[in-house]
Amino acid sequence: MTLAMTQLPSILGPAMTADAAAIPVRASGLSKSIESRDILRDIDLEIPHGRFIALLGANGAGKSTLLKILSTLNAPTAGTLDLFGISAAASAVKIRRHIGLIGHQTMLYHDLSAMENLVFFAKLYGIADPAGRAMELLTQLGLANRANDPVKAFSRGMAQRVAIARALLHEPRLLLADEPFAGLDAPSTALLERLLTELHGQGKTIILANHDIAQSLRLAQTAIVLAKGRKVIDTHADQLDAGAVLASMENAAADAADGGVA
Amino acid sequence: MNRKILSCAYWTVAALAFAGVMGLIYFWTPFAIDPNDGKPIIFQKILYFHLPVAINTFLACTVCFAGGIGYLVNRQTWWDDLAAAGAKVSVVLCTGVLLTGMLWAKGAWNVWWTWYSPRLTFSFMLWLLYVVYLIVRSSVEGSQRRAVVGAVYGLIAFLDIPLVYLSARLLPDQFHPADITLSPSMKLTLAASFVPITMIALGLVFLQYRLHRVQRGEVVGPLTLPGLGMRPSLTGGAA
Amino acid sequence: MTATLNQIAVLAAKDLRIEGRTRSTLGLVVVLGVLIISVLGFGIGTQPQLAALGAPSILWVAYLFSGVLCFEKTMATERQDGALAGLLLAPIDRGVIYAGKLASNLILMFAVAAVITPVGVLFFGMDLSAAPLGFVAVIAISMLGFAAIGTLFAGLMSSSRLQGGLLAMVVFPLVLPLVIASTQQVLSPGGTGLAILVAFDAIFLTASWIVFELVLEP
Repeated sequence: MTLAMTQLPSILGPAMTADAAAIPVRASGLSKSIESRDILRDIDLEIPHGRFIALLGANGAGKSTLLKILSTLNAPTAGTLDLFGISAAASAVKIRRHIGLIGHQTMLYHDLSAMENLVFFAKLYGIADPAGRAMELLTQLGLANRANDPVKAFSRGMAQRVAIARALLHEPRLLLADEPFAGLDAPSTALLERLLTELHGQGKTIILANHDIAQSLRLAQTAIVLAKGRKVIDTHADQLDAGAVLASMENAAADAADGGVA
Repeated sequence: MNRKILSCAYWTVAALAFAGVMGLIYFWTPFAIDPNDGKPIIFQKILYFHLPVAINTFLACTVCFAGGIGYLVNRQTWWDDLAAAGAKVSVVLCTGVLLTGMLWAKGAWNVWWTWYSPRLTFSFMLWLLYVVYLIVRSSVEGSQRRAVVGAVYGLIAFLDIPLVYLSARLLPDQFHPADITLSPSMKLTLAASFVPITMIALGLVFLQYRLHRVQRGEVVGPLTLPGLGMRPSLTGGAA
Repeated sequence: MTATLNQIAVLAAKDLRIEGRTRSTLGLVVVLGVLIISVLGFGIGTQPQLAALGAPSILWVAYLFSGVLCFEKTMATERQDGALAGLLLAPIDRGVIYAGKLASNLILMFAVAAVITPVGVLFFGMDLSAAPLGFVAVIAISMLGFAAIGTLFAGLMSSSRLQGGLLAMVVFPLVLPLVIASTQQVLSPGGTGLAILVAFDAIFLTASWIVFELVLEP
């Protein structure tokens, strides 16, 4: 057994090993301040492969900002971030192939059809057979018959599904979702939950920022709670209950109301 | 207290130097003689202000450029304050260039304004560039965004200056100033006049810089050169 | 290199497809340009010598206002629903995003110029028989520099709420060398006007590409 393990690096090659063994997210001391307001303070994260993380916190706690930094959309004001072993500050372009982000906004062009949107992004990601891949995802998400309709004609739930397809085009190893359930109807919510669970089963690492605490604790393995830019809880989801999380969020809000300067 | 003493001393020296140069120009420096008709050119003495002010305008523009680049690379707010200070002073000085240029035009060609003098046109375009800088700064919301937009504009505007100069020279040049050779005493006066003007320019930049820093809540010590000797800010924000 | 050119082509194609779908920009911009020329034409057209000499400047006024409007609108498509963030998430350099926008802006501007210029030449009786291709070349090179600056600042200021006229105010003084050099070149061919135009393009294309890397934020 031991012999086989030590032989592994030579079979796969050094680069391969480094990549495969690299932790998806390693962040240290991440801070972000915008216009002299500290949004994130000193966040440390280490997220192993295939982990499903629920990111919880009140409005303004910094969840969206953290996800934007993890997706390399924004740069932190301080701290280091390594994604899959590559420094985000040094070569963000390389990392983006492995990351998908579903945001508040759909990031789609209203005047183009769902198909055109997906083919466009697929080409930017360098995917072979963009049209085929786009159709595959649209079918998976139940939108095959609306593929050629302009996005502006879609309901919120359908547009969100196209946005999810966009995030999955390049088969990212790390999926970041910023309140993707917001404004979704029940069938779309169920579809998305199923999809996330399935992706998790395929070994993807998922970080989900969500308002619905119970839903998040049900779906995820780990829960991280942010309050006023700091990480206050980081533990297994089944060791928490919704009440405890809510209490910690309320405590943080009370601190703020007391005028405590952090 | 230290700062006030140093500041007083500095401005006193500048004022004395200025007065000294004025006296020099008025009493000592000879008039330039018009090569065509042998008569003294009175308004030529404006050169002793026009040229130093013009050179210092470029100095201020360079400060603005450096501040912009520094901010884009470093993202520390003092670079942005330096850039803004440089731009403000360059507008003030450029207004001086335009006014002295127009006085010269009035004296030499009896017109307050002409499009046929490349130097005048160039000064005007330069003035426009940096006035727009100031307006852009006041139109953008958010101090970080404002700093970035200002930095990019300051950078591009500075790179534009040589092109503005070259294109101004393409314009018809009817009113070319008569070539005057400067006698040694005139050269001395010219060199001397650089002293007070440069002191005033640098002093203004520093004053503006200090004003911006204080507005941000940063403390600036008596001998603080931009970027050095920073004390922790009062607001606790990122420096 | 080809990968980069490919990406730029994909970006520009997307913009042009949206433009073709909505046709919101081109029509408006062309009509604005023609109106500007017409207004000035009514004023100056009655004096033929003035008209012929003033024509290049009048054309530039039309280009400047139409162009700025065009740049604002192409950047506005990225503001719908955070589409710009989608671009920034893709594994492409930000400079490539700049180049893509520049390409679509250029194509639109050339289309606009293709309509406005003949109108201007006609209304003001410009005599281009001496060097018609030279005239087109001067216009083309100037457009490139104008679009380079306009695209940069449109992208830069897209996140702040764009007060009306702000982009125009920023771009106009910066492109004055273009206006002067190209009008002088048209009125008196030969001389360094062309060199200035080429230098302008080279300097600002490079500078804008580099700067875009540093400043684009979602």
